[in-house]
Amino acid sequence: MTGSLAWLNPAKKPVPWISGILVLLGFLLPVREGHPSWWAILLTGLGTFGPGLLRELGWLKDKDEFQLQAARRAGYHAFLAAGLVAFLWIAFVRSGDRQLKNPQELATFFAALLWFTWMLSSLATYWGARKMAFRVLTLYGAAWLLFNILSHWKQPLALFMQCLLTAPFFGGAWLSRRWPRSTGILLLGASGFFLIFIGRLHHQRGFPLVVTALTLLLFVGPLVASGLALLPRSRAGEEAPEA
Amino acid sequence: MRPRHDIRNEVRRHRVLAGGLTQEELAERVGATRQTILAIEKGSYNPSVGLALRLAAALGTTVEQLFQLEEGGADDR
Repeated sequence: MTGSLAWLNPAKKPVPWISGILVLLGFLLPVREGHPSWWAILLTGLGTFGPGLLRELGWLKDKDEFQLQAARRAGYHAFLAAGLVAFLWIAFVRSGDRQLKNPQELATFFAALLWFTWMLSSLATYWGARKMAFRVLTLYGAAWLLFNILSHWKQPLALFMQCLLTAPFFGGAWLSRRWPRSTGILLLGASGFFLIFIGRLHHQRGFPLVVTALTLLLFVGPLVASGLALLPRSRAGEEAPEA
Repeated sequence: MRPRHDIRNEVRRHRVLAGGLTQEELAERVGATRQTILAIEKGSYNPSVGLALRLAAALGTTVEQLFQLEEGGADDR
């Protein structure tokens, strides 16, 4: 296998395959008494973070300078995002002397936030910010549409209303090709709207805070990431054809 | 990591001049990945000195022929 398909060859790129298998094993190994085994979860963590640790220690040299810089940049972005959210969370909890009911869910949320930010930053580096924004918006719109169809296919009105929620994603993807910076501003505005909307829903329905936070991450997160990616001025050659 | 648009590169032109090397062939010669060559040619990544020297050697030219400062770049302070 050559070119862009080289990563599919385990002999050429063993590390992604080994770490991918460890992550899968962590998810698929038997669940006992309604909880995944602690060592299965450790396998997932090992698969996710092990290669990076080995690279930083200099024991694994499978990436070139561009890929290493992309990984470090993504790590910095994940640090900024998780750090900002952590301080907001602490301020919120401390301001009302609130107690955390489910600390393990909080840890899961922060792990998800770290991974989500790292993934989007990596994609922006490899694809270019504008291509990343278009693809992420399209993919998320399609995923939400599929989720809505599978959840509400027996209720046409509910299905229609839920599908309207995918409009910002598909609309943003279409507009981003024509007016990137304006679309970036629009997406950030839409993010603000949904942040307030979901926040009010959380207050009215009494959802657990972590559930609301995860919903925000999965729904508002792509809008924020794409909006920010579309704001900077386009660089000459960003859309240069690949040879 | 994002360059400040003060460096212009001619890597793609020299790659074509060097017998029509593909990005992957050039990447193999300099010990990088095709993604890196693509990012350099698009101007979204400036290589390290070591990689720039290896590129120049692989393309049979000099670093100064491959990379030039654009007018109004870093020295304009």
